Amino acid sequence: MIYAVDGLMATIGGQHILSGVSFSLDAGECVALVGASGSGKTTTAFAPFGLLPAMAGGSARLEGEELIGCSGTTLRGLRARAGFVFQQPATALAPHLTIGAQLAEAWRQTGAPRPTHEELVALLAEVGLDEPERLLAAYPHRLSGGQRQRAMIACAIAHRPALLVADEPTSALDAPLRAGIMRLFDRLRQTRGLALLLVSHDLPAVAGHATRALLLDNGHVVEAGDARTVLTYPVSREGRALVTAMPRLDEPLPPRPPIGAPLLEARGVSVDYALPGWRRRRLEAVKDADLRIAEGEAVALVGHSGSGKSTLARAIGRLGPQSGGSVHWRGAALPPRARMRTGHRRLIQPVFQDPAASLDPRWTVAEIVAEPLLRLRPELDARQRAEKVRTLLDEVGLASDFLDRRPATLSGGQAQRVAIARALAPEPELLLLDEATSALDVLIAGRILDLLLRLQRTRRLAMLFVTHDAAAARKLCHRTIAMEAGRIVER
Amino acid sequence: MRPGVLPLAIVAGIALAAILGPLLLPWSYDAIDWSAVRAPPLSPGHLLGTDAVGRDLLARTLAGTRVTLAVAGAAAGVALAIGTLWGMIAGWCGGRIDEAMMRIVDALYALPFMFVVILLMVVFGRSIVLVFAGIGAVEWLTMARVVRGEVLRLRHRPFILAAEAAGAGTSAIMTRHLLPNLAGVAIAYLLLTVPQVVMVESFLSFLGLGVQEPMTSLGILVHDGAEDMDVAAATLLVPGAVLVTLLVALTRAGEALRDRLAP
Repeated sequence: MIYAVDGLMATIGGQHILSGVSFSLDAGECVALVGASGSGKTTTAFAPFGLLPAMAGGSARLEGEELIGCSGTTLRGLRARAGFVFQQPATALAPHLTIGAQLAEAWRQTGAPRPTHEELVALLAEVGLDEPERLLAAYPHRLSGGQRQRAMIACAIAHRPALLVADEPTSALDAPLRAGIMRLFDRLRQTRGLALLLVSHDLPAVAGHATRALLLDNGHVVEAGDARTVLTYPVSREGRALVTAMPRLDEPLPPRPPIGAPLLEARGVSVDYALPGWRRRRLEAVKDADLRIAEGEAVALVGHSGSGKSTLARAIGRLGPQSGGSVHWRGAALPPRARMRTGHRRLIQPVFQDPAASLDPRWTVAEIVAEPLLRLRPELDARQRAEKVRTLLDEVGLASDFLDRRPATLSGGQAQRVAIARALAPEPELLLLDEATSALDVLIAGRILDLLLRLQRTRRLAMLFVTHDAAAARKLCHRTIAMEAGRIVER
Repeated sequence: MRPGVLPLAIVAGIALAAILGPLLLPWSYDAIDWSAVRAPPLSPGHLLGTDAVGRDLLARTLAGTRVTLAVAGAAAGVALAIGTLWGMIAGWCGGRIDEAMMRIVDALYALPFMFVVILLMVVFGRSIVLVFAGIGAVEWLTMARVVRGEVLRLRHRPFILAAEAAGAGTSAIMTRHLLPNLAGVAIAYLLLTVPQVVMVESFLSFLGLGVQEPMTSLGILVHDGAEDMDVAAATLLVPGAVLVTLLVALTRAGEALRDRLAP
C-alpha cells in the first residue's frame, strides 16, 4: 500500500469543504477523482500535503507514515516522496530557469547527488521528449504546451517518488496531446510502479486509463469503484448528471432543425499579422479559407490550438483583422471591420471562451445586456429596453435578481449565460461561438450546450461553433470543418 | 479600518487646515510683528513663535502648505490629463504610432529633468505657473507608461471585442469601457505622483528657484529654518514635520489604493 486516505476532512476558514473521503492506492494503480468544479477534487488531492490553505483532518498515510497533523519540517520531508503535476505547466515551471536546471533541482530535493547530463537526458527521453539535449538548455517559454507538461512530469518524477499527484494535467491541452500524456502516465505506472492520483474532468480518459474512480459531489464521495463501471453505469443521481452532461461520440444524434437559404459566404479569406517591431515581418494565420453557412445551420470549426480557427471566425464576424478575400451576407458583400454599420453589426454576434473576461467588470448585468440594444436597436425606448433585458435573461435561464449583479459575483456558467443574452439582444441571425464551452467544467458546459440547442430550435439561429471538442461539435452542428495550420483541410 | 483611509484623512485634514486656518488667525503670512522677532513657540499671540523677521510661523506654515499642495495638485492634474491621453492613444493605436509615441516618452525620460526645470526658470524668470508647467510636463511620462500598459492589457480582452460587436465605436469603447477600467490604476498612480511633486517643488524652492518671497512654500520654510536651526529649532521642525507627514500619508494612501485597484 503506497497511499491510504481514510476519513479525510478539510475546512477552509471554518467551512467544511470535504468530509469522510477514503481511498487507497497500490503501486502501479491509478485512482481518479472526478466531479463538477467545486466538488472538492483538488482539495482531496492536495490538502493532506499542506499545499492548500486548508485545515485537514482524518488520516492520510504515505508509505505508512501519517501526513495529517505533522509539523512543517516533517511534512516537507514526506512531501518529497510524492511528485506533483499541475494544470498549467506554463505557470508551474519557473520562467527564469532552464529545463535542465529545474530538473536538477527536483532531482536533488531528497538529497540525491547532482544528476549527470546523461541521467537528465535519459529522464527527458523517459517522458517521451525528442531532442532532450536541446530542451535541457531551453527555457520553459521555448517549449510547446505538450512539451511543457512532459517537462513538468519529468520534474515531478525526477526524485523517484512513490506517488504522483496530477491535478487536471491534460485540461490545458488539446485532444491528441491529452491522449499522449495519458499514455505516458500508463507507461510510468508500469515501468516505475508509480501510484497515480489523478484529478480530472476528462471522463473518457479516466474511464480508459484509471484503475478506480471516486465521484465527488459537494465534498462527499457519492460513488466509488472500477473506473469504467462508475463512469459508464453510474447509479447515483450526481453521477448520472455528470455522465450525461458530457457529450459523447456514440450517442444518437438529435434531429437537426431544417436549413434554409444561404446566409453567409466567405471567399478566399486570409489573415496575416504583423509581428512586433519596426521590420514588419508578417505571420500568416489564415490562408485562403472558403466557408458557407445557411439559415439555421450550425457549422463546427475544429482544429488544434494555433490552427487559425478563432482568427478565421473573428475575421468573418468583423471582429478581427482580415487581409484578403471577401465575406458576403445573403449575396451582398459585408463592409470591412472599420466600416460596419448598425444594420450589419446586428447580424453577427459573438460569444467568447472566457466568460469572465468577456463582460466589462465595471458594468452590471443589466447594463451589459442593454448595451447592444442601446446601440443596435435605437428604436427601443428605455422602458422597452429594460423589458427586453428581462426577457433575454429569462430566455437564457437567469432570474431577474441578476440584473444588478456585477461580473465578479457570477460563476462561469452564469457569466456565459449573460454573454449569450447579450449576443441575442440585437436579434442576430448568426452566432459566433468562439470556444464558448471550453473554459467551463463538464456539467456547466453541458448545460450551456443544451441552452444553445434550445436556441437553435426556437430562434432558428445559424451558428459557427469554434471548438476543439469533437463530441460537442457533433451534438450541436450540422457539419464540421477542420482547420490545420491556417488552411481548411476537411469539410 | 481599511488601509488607506487614515492616510487620506490626514492629507484631507492638512489641506483643510491650510485653506481655512489663515481665516482664523490674526496674523497673515507676510505681516511682521516688530514686538516679537524670533519669539519662541507658545509665546503670547504666536502659538508656534515667529521667524527671524517677526512673521507668525503658524500662518507661514499654513500658507506654505497651501502653495505646496496647489503646485502638487495642479502638476499632478496636468500629468494625469496628458499622461492618460498619450498612453491611451499609444496603447490603442499600437504599431508604429505606439512605437513613435513611446520613444518620445523615452527621450524625454532621458533628459535630466531638474536641469530642464532650472533652465526654464533661468530663461523665463521665476514664476509659479512655470513651476506648475515644468513639473507637470515631466511627471506625465510615468503616467503615460502606466496607462499604456493598462490599455495593452485591456484592449484584447473579449469584453472590448464584445462592445465592438454591440456597435460601440472607438470613442465609445474608449470612454465607456477603457477609461473606467483603467481609472483606478491611474488615480492610484496619481496619488503616488503627488508626493513626488511635493518633493520636487520643495527642492526647487529650497534652491531658491520656486516660489518668491514673501509668498512661501514648505520648501522655502525648511530652507529658512535650516539657517536658523541653532537658535530657533521650531522654524525648521514645524514645516519639516508637516512636509514629512504629508509625504508619508500621500505615499501610504497611494500604495493602499494601488494595491486595492491593481492587484
